[in-house]
Amino acid sequence: MKGVLATDRRGIRELGAEELVGWDEVTQGVILESFEVPMEENVAHIRPEERPYSDFSSYTATVASWRVIKPVYNRDICIDCQNCWVWCPDTSIISRDKQMLGIDYDHCKGCGVCVEVCPTNPKSLLMFSEAEEPEAALAKWPEKKKKEKK
Amino acid sequence: MAEKMELNEVEVWDGNYAAAQALRQAQVDVVAAYPITPSTPIVENYGAFVANGYIDGEFVMVESEHAAMSGCVGAAAAGGRVATATSSQGFMLMIEVLYQASGMRLPIILNVVNRAIASPLNVRGDHGDMYAGRDSGWIQLDAFNAQEAYDLNLCAFKIGEDINVRLPVMVHQDGFLTSHTAQNVYPLSDDEAYAFIGDYKPVDEMLDFTRAVTYGAQTEEDWHYEHKAKQHRALMDSYTVIDRVFAEFKEKTGREYKRLESYLMEDAEVAIVALGSTVETALLAAKQLRESEGLKAGVVAPRVFRPFPFNEIRDALANVKAVAVLDRSCPMGAMGALFNEVSAAMYASPHRPLITNFIYGLGGRDFSLEDAKAIFREQKGHADVGYITTPLQQFSGLRGPKLGFYEMKRSK
Amino acid sequence: MALTSIKNLKEFSTANERFEGAHLLCPGCAHSMIVRELMNATDDNLVIASATGCLEVCTAVYPYTSWDTSWIHIGFENAATAAAGAEAMYKARKRKGTLKDPDAPVKFVAFGGDGATYDIGFQWLSGMIERGHDVTYICLDNENYANTGGQRSSATPVGAHTSTAQAGRVSYGKKQKKKDIVAIMAAHGAPYVAQLAPNKWKIMAKGFQKALETEGPCFINTVSACTTEWKFNPKDTINITDLATDSLMFPIYEIIDGRQLNILYRPKNVIPVEEYLAAQGRYKHLFKPENRHVIDMIQKEVNERWEYLQRREEAGV
Repeated sequence: MKGVLATDRRGIRELGAEELVGWDEVTQGVILESFEVPMEENVAHIRPEERPYSDFSSYTATVASWRVIKPVYNRDICIDCQNCWVWCPDTSIISRDKQMLGIDYDHCKGCGVCVEVCPTNPKSLLMFSEAEEPEAALAKWPEKKKKEKK
Repeated sequence: MAEKMELNEVEVWDGNYAAAQALRQAQVDVVAAYPITPSTPIVENYGAFVANGYIDGEFVMVESEHAAMSGCVGAAAAGGRVATATSSQGFMLMIEVLYQASGMRLPIILNVVNRAIASPLNVRGDHGDMYAGRDSGWIQLDAFNAQEAYDLNLCAFKIGEDINVRLPVMVHQDGFLTSHTAQNVYPLSDDEAYAFIGDYKPVDEMLDFTRAVTYGAQTEEDWHYEHKAKQHRALMDSYTVIDRVFAEFKEKTGREYKRLESYLMEDAEVAIVALGSTVETALLAAKQLRESEGLKAGVVAPRVFRPFPFNEIRDALANVKAVAVLDRSCPMGAMGALFNEVSAAMYASPHRPLITNFIYGLGGRDFSLEDAKAIFREQKGHADVGYITTPLQQFSGLRGPKLGFYEMKRSK
Repeated sequence: MALTSIKNLKEFSTANERFEGAHLLCPGCAHSMIVRELMNATDDNLVIASATGCLEVCTAVYPYTSWDTSWIHIGFENAATAAAGAEAMYKARKRKGTLKDPDAPVKFVAFGGDGATYDIGFQWLSGMIERGHDVTYICLDNENYANTGGQRSSATPVGAHTSTAQAGRVSYGKKQKKKDIVAIMAAHGAPYVAQLAPNKWKIMAKGFQKALETEGPCFINTVSACTTEWKFNPKDTINITDLATDSLMFPIYEIIDGRQLNILYRPKNVIPVEEYLAAQGRYKHLFKPENRHVIDMIQKEVNERWEYLQRREEAGV
C-alpha cells in the first residue's frame, strides 16, 4: 500500500477508459458490486484505504481531467477544523484521526468550495493553476491579512 | 410460523381464489398490491390469509399499481419472494416498472387477470393487457381455467427463481371467464406445494451487508445494447427450465403442461391457434365438428406466450392445410400479434399452410361454440380450394357491415 | 454505535466515507455534500433508494457506482416505494429468520430531487408516509429540474427564471408560489419532518440522526444550491446557502408528530432577500426597474412566513 494519500486502487482509470466487454460478459441485471470480496465487517468501520474496491467502484476512477484549477494545501497554517472535509462535494479531503492530511487529486474537480470555507488567515487552501507545482504554490503563499472591518 | 391450511382433494375455486391459494402456499414474503377488477379477489384473499395467520409475509396495500410494482421491485431486490396481481388499466400503469423488474432480473410473480384496455372503459376480459406486456422481458404463462391458474402459479415461482433464469413471470387468466368461474380444482397440500417450489434463493440481495450492490445503474450507448441482448438471451433460453419444471410438475401431479399445447392435431387438416379460455371453446367445437361433420379440426395454444414457442408452432402446424389465428386484442393498424408470430414461424418452415387472422371477443364479447365452428368450416373451405377466399383479417362476432382487411396475393 | 459523534467537526470527520468520488455531479454541487453528511451521520448499514435525477445519473453510470452501500434506482417517481418495498422485505425476512445477519443494524433511506418529490413522485411519497414505513426520505431541493436542463418544478420560487418559466420582455419568471412540502408532509402526521441546509452542518447532521433513529416515516427537505441552474460560481455553494438561510428564504425548522414546530436556526443578522437574489443569475431580471415589485413581494412573503413559523413554535401545538 502506498499510503493513505495515494492508495493502490484509487483513480487508476479515466472515466470512459474501461474495457468494453461483450453481452456475455456484462453483469446480470446490470448489477454493480462495490467490492471485490465480501466484507467481513461493516463497511463504515473500514477505512477507505483498507477496502477491497472492485473495478466497478468509482473510487477506482479519476476525474482529475475535469480540473483547470486545483486547491493546494498548506499544512503549516491548517488548524484541522475540518470545514473543507464536511463541505467537499467530491469526497476529496482526506482526513484521518481528526487531521487533515491532504487532497485526493484523483477525485477533486477543482470547485474551490474548500478554499471558500477555510477559516484560517491566511487560508490553508488556495486555488492555483492545475499546472502549478505544489512547492511553487507554497512559495507564493500570501501573508496574514489584517482583519477587515465590516 | 404461518398456520397451515387443510385442503380437500377437490376444491371448488374460481381462478382468482386458485391463484391466491398458490401465493399462500408459496409463502410469498412481500405482496405489494392495488385493487382492480377483475383481479382484486386475488389480493383480497391474500389479505384474508394474512389477517388469519396463514402467511408470515408482509402485505403492503399501496396507492397505485405503479407503486405496487415499484414496491415489488424494491422488495425483490432485498432478496425474497414477491408476487402481486393486476388487470387492464392497472397493468398499463405498471408497465414502466415491468421493464425495470425484468432488466434487474428480479423474479417477481404477477398474476394478470386479463381485461380490456380503455378507452372506452370496460371491465371484461380480452387480451389487450397481456399483449401490452409482450415486449417487457417477462416470461408469460397462460392459464385457460382455474386449475391451470393454480398450477401455473406454483410453476411460475420455480421457473422465475431458477438460478439460470432469474426473470419475472406473469401468469395470465381471462377476466371473469376464468377468474370468476368456480370449477373443480385439485390442489396440492401446503407441504407438497412448498416442497415443489422450494425456498427462495437470494441473488445480489440488498440485505446482505457483506456486499454492497447497486441496482438500476444507467447505461448509455456503450453498454445498454449488450445488457438488453443478455436479458433477451436469458428469456430465450428460459425454455429449458420451463420444460424441466413442467416435467417435474407432471411427475408430482400427473398434470402435464407444454409450452405449446396441441389438441387433436395428430391428423388435423385445419386448426385454430388461440390463447386463454377460448382454447376450451375451440377444442369443444373441434370435437363436435369431428363427430358431426367429419371435419378434421384441431387446436394449438401457446401455454407460454413469452418466450414464444417458435419451433413448437412450426412442428404443431407442420401438416395442417389452413389455420386461423385468433387475436383477442385489437391490433390497431396491423395484423394481430399472434397471427404475425405464427406466420413468421411458418414462413421459416418448408410447409406453409394458409393462415388467416380473426379479431374476436374484445371487451368480453362472447366467443361461442358456433363462432368457433364457423371459423373451422371457413378454414376447411380454404383448404379445399387451396387459397384464402376471405380477407386475411376478419372480425368474429362483430355487429354491422362485414369488416375485413387484405387479401391473399396468388401467382397467376 | 449507530450514530457518529457530531459534537464537533473534528470528531465527525473520523467517519469512514461510504460515498465515493469520481461521481459525475457538477463541481460544487450541494447534492453530494448532503448525501455524504447523511451517510456519515450513522454507521448503520444503509439501503438507499434514489429517484431518477442528478444524483442518480451521476452516481451509478455503468460500469461505475459511487455507493458503498446497497443502492437502488427504479424510476423518477418511485424512490419512496422502492425503499418501502425493501423495508417490507426486511421485516418479512427478519420475522422468518432468512436474513444473513439478522442483528446487523440497517436504515432505509430514499433520496429524490424536488421534481421527484414535489411533482412526479408526490403520490408515491405520500403513500409511503401514510403507510408508516420506517424510511427516511430526503428531498434534495434545488428548486428545478436540473438534470433535464433547468425546467420549473412546483418547488421553483416566485420570480426565478427557468427554461419553462422564463423571464422575458413581459414575464418576470415563475408566477406561482413554491409548494410548502414540509407542511404537507407534516400534515400526514409523520413523526419527524424538517427543513435543513448543508451550511448548518451540525443542525443538519442532528436532523438526519433524529430522522434515522425515529421509527416510522420521516421527511427532510434539504436546500441544495445548484451552481448550474441557479447560476453562481461553483466555489460559492456554501456562501449562497448562507444567504439562503440568513435571509430566511429557507428557514431551518422541524415539526414533530405533525404538531410541535421547532425553529432550529435563528440568524443573528437577518439579511434582506435582495442579497440572496442578487447573488444568483436566475434572479438577475428581478433587478430591472419594472420587476422591483417582485422582490418586494418575495420579501413580504418571507417576513410573513417567518412570523408564522415563530408563532406556531410559540403556540406549541
